Amino acid sequence: MRDTIIIGAGLAGLMGALALAEAGRKPFVLAKGHGTTHWMGGTIDVWGAPDEAGPRAAVARLATEQPDHPYALLSTAELTAALERFRALVAAAGYPYVGSLDHNVLLPTALGALRPTALMPATMAAGDARLPGPILIAGFHELRDFFPPLAAANLNAQGIAARGVYLDMPPIERKLDFSTVTFARLFEQPAFRVHVGRQLRALRGDATRIGLPAVLGLHNATSVVAELQTLSGAQIFEIPTLPTSVPGMRLFTIFERAITAAGGRFQIGSLVLRAESAGERLTTIYTEAAAREQRHQAADFLLATGGVAGGGVRTDHAGAVRETALGLPLRAPNGREQWFAPRFRAEDGHPIFRAGVGVNANLRPLDAADRVVYHNVTVGGNALAGADAIRERCYAGLALATGWKAGKLLGLV
Amino acid sequence: MQSIETDVLVIGGGATGTGCARDLAMRGIRCILVEKGDLTHGTTGRYHGLLHSGGRYVTKDPQSATECAHENVILRRIMPHCLEDTSGFFVTTPWDDPDYADLFYTNCQKTQVPVQEISVAEMLRREPVLNPQISRVFEVADGAADAFLATHSTALAAREYGADIRTYHNVIDLVRIGDRVVGAVVEDLRSGEQKEIRCAYILNAAGAWAGKIAGLAGLTVTVVPGKGTMVAMNHRMINTVVNRCKLPDDGDIIVPIRTVAVIGTTDVHVPDPDVYGIDAEEIQFMLDEGEKLIPGFKQYRALRAWAGVRPLYKDVDAVSDRDIPRTYKLLDHAERDGVEGILSIVGGKWTTYRLMAQESVDAIAKRLGNTNPCRTAEEILPVPATEYGGRKPTAAVANGAVGSSAPSAPRPTGLFWLGKPLADVERKHSYGDLICECELVTRERVVAAIEADSAANLDDIRRDVRMGMGPCQGGFCTYRAVALWAEIPSRRANADSLAQSSALLRQWLQERWKGSTPVLWGDQLRQLRLDEIIYYDTLGIDLLEERGENDTAGPGMVTEHPAIATEYHKA
Repeated sequence: MRDTIIIGAGLAGLMGALALAEAGRKPFVLAKGHGTTHWMGGTIDVWGAPDEAGPRAAVARLATEQPDHPYALLSTAELTAALERFRALVAAAGYPYVGSLDHNVLLPTALGALRPTALMPATMAAGDARLPGPILIAGFHELRDFFPPLAAANLNAQGIAARGVYLDMPPIERKLDFSTVTFARLFEQPAFRVHVGRQLRALRGDATRIGLPAVLGLHNATSVVAELQTLSGAQIFEIPTLPTSVPGMRLFTIFERAITAAGGRFQIGSLVLRAESAGERLTTIYTEAAAREQRHQAADFLLATGGVAGGGVRTDHAGAVRETALGLPLRAPNGREQWFAPRFRAEDGHPIFRAGVGVNANLRPLDAADRVVYHNVTVGGNALAGADAIRERCYAGLALATGWKAGKLLGLV
Repeated sequence: MQSIETDVLVIGGGATGTGCARDLAMRGIRCILVEKGDLTHGTTGRYHGLLHSGGRYVTKDPQSATECAHENVILRRIMPHCLEDTSGFFVTTPWDDPDYADLFYTNCQKTQVPVQEISVAEMLRREPVLNPQISRVFEVADGAADAFLATHSTALAAREYGADIRTYHNVIDLVRIGDRVVGAVVEDLRSGEQKEIRCAYILNAAGAWAGKIAGLAGLTVTVVPGKGTMVAMNHRMINTVVNRCKLPDDGDIIVPIRTVAVIGTTDVHVPDPDVYGIDAEEIQFMLDEGEKLIPGFKQYRALRAWAGVRPLYKDVDAVSDRDIPRTYKLLDHAERDGVEGILSIVGGKWTTYRLMAQESVDAIAKRLGNTNPCRTAEEILPVPATEYGGRKPTAAVANGAVGSSAPSAPRPTGLFWLGKPLADVERKHSYGDLICECELVTRERVVAAIEADSAANLDDIRRDVRMGMGPCQGGFCTYRAVALWAEIPSRRANADSLAQSSALLRQWLQERWKGSTPVLWGDQLRQLRLDEIIYYDTLGIDLLEERGENDTAGPGMVTEHPAIATEYHKA
């Protein structure tokens, strides 16, 4: 019997586990695989819609403007506290984040678009579009998830002076395929950094800032960036690539270490198949294992399995929408014909992606009649109904804040 | 208006039209082919990819059956690189009339369609996922055909012999003087420029659009556009084509092709070949029919649904569209309507495209006094540069080259097989150059497709190399291909190429979305959400368009021109 099981190892589950560990629990994080940390770029987007007032104010207004949005379950103070706790965590791990909730910063993407975000790793900060200075964007032919000329051309078209170049690879031992992770490991080798740094200095020209793919080391990005700045003579900043996300992997590692150090445990690779309850309390969950189901019992549970992307919400050809771990009732559009807008780029996104668990103010799951299903379960992150976190650009912010609150609420019991 | 002169103007860039252009050029007849979209933009690029044994038509349409059986052998010889020798089964399930099996066998004999009955045990040994309740199994010489590659190979062969093939050229009028058609006015959709093409003969090979073309000369050709919907599944759960042993009906055939299996088709009469949609009921029906052949079929992941319009020619009263013969018909408008200078080749099927071209060109050659024999059944087709990366053919690729009289492109070395793309990657050690991991498409092949002058948008590249046709439906390769597109030196200098690259991305994402929505659920819906993460969250595609570009236009690029946009809506 465990005190608390967290289902899901994305940002919401990790933040919830941290909150529980700090409340004296021994959180047990059980997940099928890594969460969307490994897919997303590593910035903490809180609210992305263009808004002069900034993300904090935009979120505060949601409480009245979109009362069904999961942000409406949080006070501004709770949102701020969660993100402050996050910043303290990553800063203590030597991977600080900068930015604020007062206004968004625009950072260049690998396509050369300028995307708004509230908090970003310090390793990305020099990309801020408001900063002066021409930009050099450099990449590698061998990395198929980052193309400097296209990014630079699109930046130029938006009035930001930029050039895109490819760097030469050093002669490397037999290696045929390069992923973002391969490059992150290469950047941890001093000789590779020197090889890159020298080329950057030679190619820099009038550029005062150099954008590189976000692969500058798995564990010590801060020092890799510092060294490349010295070698190149320019500010260095990272630009997120196509998945796998190296910045996301860094975040996962930081959380994993902190939670483990606080007495928590992880079991990744276990799909929750079903659950058992006694009245209004969830008692047991079963995970898939090689020979038989594995049984897990706990006093409290935090559900943070995500939405359609994370795997917490699953759909089928007959139009059914299901919560995969506990079989909780969902708030979802009725029937397949209601799932989609006619065009992919529809401004408000597609209704199916807002499907999720409805909860009360204490993040307890509700049924269709708004009765609490399990009193010892809280729900956080994109498993919550009512948000399209990708289109709203609030994926990480929503996950951290609701995950934090879902953990706190269980820890108080 | 620019005026061009030629002997024969072929209208339509599908299998039949390119086949005609090749045959004309091989006989030394000057020809221009115009196609309003890209090659295979019409029905050729939207069919299930079956190389017919003929078995499907032995009862209802025996002439078609015999033609298919005959052409099947020829196509295996002239375009082996486009064909996979899957073999085919006709199976009697508990839902099929058991008496039809013997009739089927007898009719195969009558129509010269090679067939042999095998035991159910043997069938299950070879295809264990098939329904064990199947009672009879007949093996025939079905195969899988890559119609994109076949058409590109045919067009390349035609060009080697001097044919002038122009894509994105839309016929807007036929020039008729009295009782003679003397040419056509075409619009280059990329530049908006109109040209007049003067010719001795027009060969109308526009398939489902043949009625519309003939109408421009005041001629009536009734083509019934028969919409067929198909669904591609993510698994090649079988390696043999499987047909229900019954009269042809909806959802009764599964074709393993490349990395997927395609179930088809429906047959719905549509009033206009440019206006049709896919109904949820059609998809559900086909999944249900799939269950009868392969229990658990619905649990596999559906990737994409699309529809093509069959060019059925109606000159008899048929009860339903399925009863219209699948065979083709060459309409000589001089005999039929008293109008000289134009022939229409209508009906038919992909497997018989070469024969249709031969008969059409025979008729025209006779009139032109050209007595050169048809050699399209003997000469092997060349392999387009998009197959091997566009560099000088390597010794390995060129091995086995035959007929090297004039052509410079390599010749195929044998039939396509499922492991071939991987073998190519392994031979060239190009693991690190995969732009599309799903379909194993390398950087050099994508660049070759971009550089091919016909690539006006990403969909054209898809048709050239099958990029984005696998499970992720373009999630990763789209960004890469657009970036490569923008890096091509000839485009980099072009100030418009940038605005185009964003428009290309958006147009492609919408196209893939359109094909996915009818089958979006389960893992494929999750996959689409990953695409949203990539294109919205990581790349910010929506933020680029706030610069106020518009989706279409831009020199050299055709995306949503009304002449080639297929308008999907609920049928």
